[in-house]
Amino acid sequence: MSDQVSGVRYQPEPRTKASSIITRYSFLSREWLRIAALAVVFLLLIPLSALAFGVEWTHTLRTVALGGGILGLVTGALGSFAVLRQEGLLGDALSHAALPGIAIAFLISGRELTALLIGAGIAGWLGVLLVRAIVSTTRIKQDAAMAIVLSSFFAFGLALLAYIQGRDDASQAGLKSFIFGQAAAIVERDVWTIGLVGGAALLLMLVFWKEFKLITFDMAFARANGIPTRTLDLILSTLIVVAIVLGLQLAGVILMVGLLIAPAVAARQWTRKLEQMVVLAAIFGAASGASGAVVSAIDAGMPTGPLIIVAAVLIAFLSLAFAPERGIVWSQLKQRADRRAFAAQTMMRDLYRHCCSHDNMSQPTDEAMLVKLRGAAARAGLRDLAREGLAVMEAGTTQWRLTPDGVLAAAQIADNGTRQTREIRPVVITTVEA
Amino acid sequence: MQLIESLLVQLLTRFVSPDTLNAALTDPRTVAVIVGVLVATSSALLGGFMLLRKMALTTDAISHTILLGIVSSFLFMAFVLGIAPDLASPWLIIGAALAGVATVVLTEAIQRSGLVKGDAALGLAFPLLFAIGVLLVARFTSQIHLDADSVLVGEIGLAWTNTNSYCLENCDSITITPEDPRAETARVCTNCQTESISPRSPNAVFEMTCANCGTYTAAEAWRARLIAEPPQLVYLPKAISTMGVITLINLLFVLLFYKELKLATFDRALALSLGFRPGWLHYTLMILVSVTAVGAFDAVGSILVVAFFVIPAAAAYLLTDRLWVMLLIAPAIGAVGAYTGYDLARGSLFGIVQMNDVLAFLDRTIGLGGYIQWDSSISAAMVLTTFTLFVIVWVVAPQRGLISTLLRRRWQREQFAAQVLLGHLHNHMGANERHEREVSTLHEHLRWTPRRVFWTLTRLRASDLVDVEDGLARLTERGRASLIEFREQNLATP
Repeated sequence: MSDQVSGVRYQPEPRTKASSIITRYSFLSREWLRIAALAVVFLLLIPLSALAFGVEWTHTLRTVALGGGILGLVTGALGSFAVLRQEGLLGDALSHAALPGIAIAFLISGRELTALLIGAGIAGWLGVLLVRAIVSTTRIKQDAAMAIVLSSFFAFGLALLAYIQGRDDASQAGLKSFIFGQAAAIVERDVWTIGLVGGAALLLMLVFWKEFKLITFDMAFARANGIPTRTLDLILSTLIVVAIVLGLQLAGVILMVGLLIAPAVAARQWTRKLEQMVVLAAIFGAASGASGAVVSAIDAGMPTGPLIIVAAVLIAFLSLAFAPERGIVWSQLKQRADRRAFAAQTMMRDLYRHCCSHDNMSQPTDEAMLVKLRGAAARAGLRDLAREGLAVMEAGTTQWRLTPDGVLAAAQIADNGTRQTREIRPVVITTVEA
Repeated sequence: MQLIESLLVQLLTRFVSPDTLNAALTDPRTVAVIVGVLVATSSALLGGFMLLRKMALTTDAISHTILLGIVSSFLFMAFVLGIAPDLASPWLIIGAALAGVATVVLTEAIQRSGLVKGDAALGLAFPLLFAIGVLLVARFTSQIHLDADSVLVGEIGLAWTNTNSYCLENCDSITITPEDPRAETARVCTNCQTESISPRSPNAVFEMTCANCGTYTAAEAWRARLIAEPPQLVYLPKAISTMGVITLINLLFVLLFYKELKLATFDRALALSLGFRPGWLHYTLMILVSVTAVGAFDAVGSILVVAFFVIPAAAAYLLTDRLWVMLLIAPAIGAVGAYTGYDLARGSLFGIVQMNDVLAFLDRTIGLGGYIQWDSSISAAMVLTTFTLFVIVWVVAPQRGLISTLLRRRWQREQFAAQVLLGHLHNHMGANERHEREVSTLHEHLRWTPRRVFWTLTRLRASDLVDVEDGLARLTERGRASLIEFREQNLATP
C-alpha cells in the first residue's frame, strides 16, 4: 500500500472575454434565443387553433384556455424531473389511483374543487406508496406493481362512482368528467385555484432547484454527501402529485400521464441543460394545454383530455423528428453526409494505392473495378472527389486518376491510416503526496 | 365460429336438458359469471408471460389502444362496407390486432431511436392512440353505438341479452309456396288503377300475390304461427362463445409453444442462439393479448382488462417458482375473483361482508346522506375481488408472503445478534477481561440497547449456550462448540 493519493485535475480553459460575457448574460446565448423562438412558434398554436377551428374568443373560452395553459405549464415543468428520473409512468398509476379519492372526497364534503383535489392527492399518494410497498416486499417488479395498483384503485373509483350515481343527488353530475376531463366544467374560481397551487408548486421547485437537480442526476453522489435525499425525494414526488392532481379536471385521470411525459420528452430533444429543458417543457405544456382546451370548446361533447394529449404528443413527435443535433431527420442527414465523405475518402485511398503500387502517379484506375470493389457508393464518392478537384476522369474513358492536389491529400490520409496515429489530448495529472 | 358454437351446444345438451340450459343462459348472473371466468382465465394465461417478460404496462397500453382499433374498424364497417357495426365481427379482431401491434411497434420504434429513455416511450405511444380512440368515440357515438361508459366498464351485466339461437328439435326450415294451404294468397288487378277500369271489365289483368310466401327458419315459422309445435331452441350468448374460443386459442398457444415461450421469456439470447424465433413469438403474444382484450372489451371495457391480465398472475408469482404451476394458479385465482366479483357488485364480499351494512355504518359515522344502497358495475367489482385475493396472497403466502418475510427477517436478526454476542464472549474469555462480560454493561460494549442484550441473552440461556454467574456472562461448552461450528462453516477463509 502506498500513501500516495493521486487525483486528476482538469485545468479549465482560459476564459476569453467574449465567452465570459455570454456566461454572465446567459439569456443572450444562442441556445436561449433558440428557446425564445420556439416559445413564440409553439405559443402561436393557441390562437391558431382557435382560428383554424373557428372558435369564438369569448370570456369562457379565455378562462378555459388560461386554465389549460397554466396547468400545462406546471405539469410540463415538473414532468421534466419525472421523465429524467425515468419515473414518468408512475404518474399514470398515480392519476388512476386518484379516482377513488375524488369520489370519497365528494361523499364527505360535496362538490368543492379544493376538497376533491385534496382527496385525489391523498389517494394518488396512497397508490404510489402501495406500488413502493409491493416492489420492496415482494419480487414483483415496478411495472407489474403499477398495473396492479392502477387497475384496482381505478376499479374502486368506478365502483364508488356507480354508488354515487345511484344517489338522488344532482350535484354529482360533473364527477364523471374527471375520467376524461371536461373543460366546460371549469369556472373562473377553478382557474384561480389551479394558478395559486400550481404557482406555489413551481416556487418550491425553484427553491429546491439545486437539490432537485442533484437527486435527479446523481442520487448516489447526493446521498454520499449527506444531502437528505429521502426528504427531497418526498418533496419532489409530492410536487409531481400536485401537478397531476391539478390537471385531473381538465385532462382526466386516464390521460393525465401524457401531459406529464410528452412536453418533457419534446423539450429534452432541443437542449442538454436542465434549466432550458424545464422552461421549454413548461412552454410546450402550456401550448398544448391551452390549444387542446380551446379546440374542445367547439363542441360540448368533445372531451378535453384527449385533445390536450394529442396536441402534446404531436409536439413531442415533431421534436423527435426535427430537433437539431438529436432529431431523427437531422441524424439521418448527418449519417448520409458521413457515408458520402467516407466513400470519397475510400476512393481517394484506393486511387492512391493503385497508382503507387504501379509507381506511376498518373496511373488511372477503372471505375467499374472500384464499383466492384467498394459497392455502388463508389460512384458518388468519385463524383464528390471530382467536384472538389481531387480526382479527374480521363476524357472519353471511364478511367480515373488523382490530381496533384488529390495525391497530396491522399498521402496524408494514407499516412494516418498506416501509422494509426491518433490525436492525443494532454491531461494534467498532479500527484499529491500525503 | 358457427361450427364451434353448435358443437358446444350439442355437447352441453348431452348432459343437461335444453330447458335447464336455457334457464341458465338467460339468467344474468350465470352468464355474467361464465363470461367473467372466461375473461379471467384467458387473460391470466397470457398475463403470466407478460408479467415475467416485464411487459405488464405494455398490456395496459395495448388494452387502452385496442379502443382505437375497435373504433376504426367500426367506422370502416359503417362507412366503407356499409354494414352494421358488431362486436363479434372478424373485422374487429383484425382492427384490434393491428392496433395492438401498432402500439408495440410504435413504442419499440421510439425506444430504438435512442432519444427517449426508459418507459417514457410507452408513455408517449399509448396516450396518443387512446386519445384518438376516445375522440372518435365522442365524435361518432351515434354511428358506432359505443359510449364512454362501455369503454370504461363494459356491459357484462347485459351479456345474456345478446345471443345466437341454436335449434335442437323441429328445426326444419319451411318454404311456403303459393300452392301451400298456409299461404295467404290474393288475386290483384294490376292495370285497374292505371287505366281506371273496373276489375269486372274484360280488359282487366289479374295476378296472384302471396303475402307470406318465402323461406322461414324454424323460429320464424313458429313466430308466424305456421307450425304447430314450437322448435326447441338454445340461446347462447355471443360473449360466451367469443370468449370461449379465445380461451381455447390461448390455451392451445400456451400448450403448443410452452417450451419456446419459457425459453424466450427467461433467456432470450439462448433462444436466439438455438435458432428459435423469439421475435415471432413476441409478436404472436402481442396479437393474442390484443385479441383477448378485444374479446373482453364487450364484457369489461378497455381499462379494467389489464387487471385480469396482471393481478392473478402476480398473485400466482408469489405462490410458486414453477412456471407451469403459476400458469395453473393464475387462471384459478382470476376465475375465483370473477366468480366472487358478481356477488360483490350485488353487495356481498365473499359472503362475509355485506356492503349495505358497511354503508350503513359509514352513514352513521361520517354521514352519507342516508343513501345506503350499494350498487357497482360488475366488472369493477370483479377487479376488486381479484385485488382482494392478491392482497391476501401477498400477506399470507408461504415463503414470499409479507408475514413469512417479516418472520424470516426477524429470525435472521435474532440469529445475527446471538452470533455477535457469542463471538464477543468468546473473544473476551481472559481473566483480566471480566468487565467485558458483565451483563449490566454488555450493551455499552456492543453498542446495543439494553433491551436487545436482555432478549438475546435470554434466548441464548434458554438454549443453554450461555450461562450467567454473579452478573458475568460465560460461554457454556455447548456455546463454544456451536460458535466454533458456525465459524468453520461461515467464516472459513479459503
